[in-house]
Amino acid sequence: MEAKGARELFERVIDAGLCASCGGCAGGCPYLLPYRGRIVLMDNCLLSEGQCYQYCPRTFTDMEAVSQKVLGVSFSEDEFDIVREIFLARSTDAEIHEKGQDGGAVTALLSVALAEGIIDGVVETKMDDNKIPHGFIARNREELLECAGVSYEPSPVLEALNRLPQESAEKLGIVGLPCHVASVSKMKTYPPKNRMNIDNVKLVIGLFCGWELSGGFRQFLEENFDLPQVVKFDIPHHPAHTFDVYTKSDKKSVELEDIGQYISEACSYCWDMTAEFADISVGSGRAKFKGWNTAVVRTKAGAELMDIARKKGALETQPIPIESIDNLKRASLNKKKKALSSIIAKTGDKKNLLYLGISQDLANKLLV
Amino acid sequence: MPDIAIDAPGTSQLFMGNEAIARGALEAGIGFATAYPGTPSSEILGSLAPVAKKMGIYAEWSVNEIVATEAAAGASLAGVRAITAMKQLGVNVASDFLSILVMSGLGKGGLVLVSCDDPGAISSDNEEDARNLAKSLGMPLVEPGNFQEAKDMTKWLFDLSEEIDNICMLRSVTRIAHSRGNVKLGELPKKEHKAYFDQIHDLRNVMPTKFMPHPVPSHHAALLQKLEKARERFESSPFNWYLGPDKADLLIITCGSCWLYSRDVVKELKLEDKVGILKLGTLWPLPEKFVEKHLNKSQKILFVEEVDPFLERSVMEMAASLPSDSPRPTFYGKRSGHLNAYGEMDQDVLIKVIASMTGLTYQPRDIEYGKKAEDAAKSYVPERSIAFCPGCPHRAAFWSIKNALKLDGRNGFVTGDIGCYGLALRPTGFYQSRSHYCMGSGAGVANGLGKLGQYGFNQPVLAVCGDSTFYHATVPALINGVHNQSNFILIILDNSGTAMTGFQPHPGSELNAMGEPAKFISMEDLCRSMGAHVEICDPFDLKNTTATLLEMMAEGGGAKVVVMRRQCELIRGRKEKPPYKVHVDPDECIGEACGCDRLCTRVFYCPGLIWDKENGKSKIDEVICTGCGVCADICPQGAIVKEAA
Repeated sequence: MEAKGARELFERVIDAGLCASCGGCAGGCPYLLPYRGRIVLMDNCLLSEGQCYQYCPRTFTDMEAVSQKVLGVSFSEDEFDIVREIFLARSTDAEIHEKGQDGGAVTALLSVALAEGIIDGVVETKMDDNKIPHGFIARNREELLECAGVSYEPSPVLEALNRLPQESAEKLGIVGLPCHVASVSKMKTYPPKNRMNIDNVKLVIGLFCGWELSGGFRQFLEENFDLPQVVKFDIPHHPAHTFDVYTKSDKKSVELEDIGQYISEACSYCWDMTAEFADISVGSGRAKFKGWNTAVVRTKAGAELMDIARKKGALETQPIPIESIDNLKRASLNKKKKALSSIIAKTGDKKNLLYLGISQDLANKLLV
Repeated sequence: MPDIAIDAPGTSQLFMGNEAIARGALEAGIGFATAYPGTPSSEILGSLAPVAKKMGIYAEWSVNEIVATEAAAGASLAGVRAITAMKQLGVNVASDFLSILVMSGLGKGGLVLVSCDDPGAISSDNEEDARNLAKSLGMPLVEPGNFQEAKDMTKWLFDLSEEIDNICMLRSVTRIAHSRGNVKLGELPKKEHKAYFDQIHDLRNVMPTKFMPHPVPSHHAALLQKLEKARERFESSPFNWYLGPDKADLLIITCGSCWLYSRDVVKELKLEDKVGILKLGTLWPLPEKFVEKHLNKSQKILFVEEVDPFLERSVMEMAASLPSDSPRPTFYGKRSGHLNAYGEMDQDVLIKVIASMTGLTYQPRDIEYGKKAEDAAKSYVPERSIAFCPGCPHRAAFWSIKNALKLDGRNGFVTGDIGCYGLALRPTGFYQSRSHYCMGSGAGVANGLGKLGQYGFNQPVLAVCGDSTFYHATVPALINGVHNQSNFILIILDNSGTAMTGFQPHPGSELNAMGEPAKFISMEDLCRSMGAHVEICDPFDLKNTTATLLEMMAEGGGAKVVVMRRQCELIRGRKEKPPYKVHVDPDECIGEACGCDRLCTRVFYCPGLIWDKENGKSKIDEVICTGCGVCADICPQGAIVKEAA
């Protein structure tokens, strides 16, 4: 485990364009504050070793150690890591459908987990009036519904987790992108000090992710939309080619090309599309299964929750066709290959893979 | 504080130099006194104001030094003797007016300006030698060499001022202004003041009284005549004297507090028979005949004076014009490199120079003993640098300023100004202040920075000033910024008084210098009347203060104002009990560990917080903590607990 301080975090991650603004470094630290898509260094911390560096998903991550700890098995070199089950799912709740993205499976699963007492709260993203994403802890269905829907901007979700008092006994679920899940997985592998007990995290739901929008995107949103009136953002799947912004009464569409320039540089170094260390990973059903989610169950905890949700009738499922799985695998593999090339282009050294603690063999295989 | 108005002629009183000057003014029968506070001058008006009513005179803390000087001149025009006092930097502010006043001449009331200089810049931003201003502007100049002279010279200067019809200047320095010595008192005049602006406008004399410099060349010529007259008076002044043998190995020419140092050193080295001292009290115009008489006392002449080689140049200039058969001594001083033209003079510096010039070796004390004494003294001193007081609102204000600038992320910065908050150049203000010039310059400089948008400049500019500085010199800068739509935010750190110099009132105060009700001028109403967007916040509310700044920075646009209002803790603490009882819960404090790294004692840096090295925890210093409770709001672990007291 490589341990460095805030200075190196800035040198190697934040100022180097690798930061995904996941918030894993912040919340438990007075020096690092997420603000409008950036991690801000408020003052100099003199520590040579800090948890900010340790839990950053873009500092060295020993995939094997994390996999052993989180999934209980050796790191799988498959396209999207360990899979117990994969199927299509959607919520049976009309209210969730109205507010959620695609099939609303994530909100449905979390409602069940809260109702069944598996967890007491969910650490997730909530957008404020100006649709700036923040970390938030939802402790009931109502608060959960307030968090439904997707922000395409980086969200420092984990700040809310790290902000919890050390003595908190609340059982938690976390919903996050692959970067959030990677950070939480490092916390599980190397438990934090002077922060909440990571064992309280009982459930991690990962969201499929291609990229986030940052840089000038905030300004673009502020200049083009009346953000307090916006109720939902969406990027519908092929053949649609738009970024859709919904208000209560209206929908405005922007050509995807127009926002492509805002794709975060950090995302080009991310190799994980499906949140490989989550208990359950959820994506869209894509165009073919509009209104459905793709769900990948990876752990025992994930499988148990899925069972309860089905039994309670909160979630309906159907098998996913092989060709859809193949499409997914292809997309996931592509992201890994692209990330590897970007990393090597940055380091100029095939052996320097920055944060990616994978075997050289796997790297070579992916680079072919 | 001693009663400077005590009616006990012939008795000796222990007076501070500034009090002696004030007493001298009272003995001279002044009716009018003005000043703008500034260390080391503040106790002059500070001791006149409390006795003003009893003495039947008027005393005023003016809005700034030029107005103070103009107001005092106004009294002179109506025949009332007036004094105005300021620090050396204040003379610069007043100089615009002074440069014309010397051309116009005075009314019937004598007028004296006191400049308290600050060699070594102990409480100043320069160590300017105001003697040069007296010379360049055209004011006869005296400098007291002890406390008695401080009183006597002040009194005498009024007579001179009236005799030559010109303002006169008394220069003092920190070590005279702020030390105490015995002063033998004179009579206090018992006369009624009568003020009248004499028009002298009748059929025989059609020209009404006018005070103006025109026609300039003839007024200028008149000024030179007045100065010549002053020189004549100086030639026989009792404030100049010689002490020493008829023929000396070395002649020291000195003035002011350096006279005291010179006397001490000559005595210490037992050189009374070999070294003579020519002590001058009237410095400019130089009493040339008096000085010339003493030039043949020695072949070697050393000038001992603080900061500029003022006497050195005057005497050398005079010597150059003497007939060729005159004595030609060798001159030593700043020009020769024997003394520095910067920093304070003291006996330690001087004794080395004089010992080496007279071929003596001098060892002040055993080196070992000296080191031991130094170490012992150090052990009683807390380990900290100069800082805002515990509970100071400025610390909280700069904490929010720092945080807002960091979060904003465009590398915004603070243009600083003159006041306690000047400490924001240092760790106690988180190094936030990035420029530091004269009163009002924070907003002045911001005016320029805020208009550089066309050159790609987009860094937010936060100009700070205190409440007293706002009225003193910031108002015109703000007017300029609002009118020209310069993009900066003026932060007025309003702690309800001129805190740095001792809480003198200002136009935002409800009482004047004499403790009488005064018309309160609302800074926010004034700013709003200019059309500026004004927000008011409590600096102890860190969250709201930071949010307000962030919002205003994001907004852009022309000059705006944030008033951060919280009374100076030194004032509040005198009137009220601490609002909170604060303690550190050692179980929650994680000290140097990840998640804190001593934020409170290392970064926030309030002297009321101590780092307990042994236990690795923070502690409250209960003796000096004022219970403001702000540290409880910055502690990331919630280990600092504030309970309502």
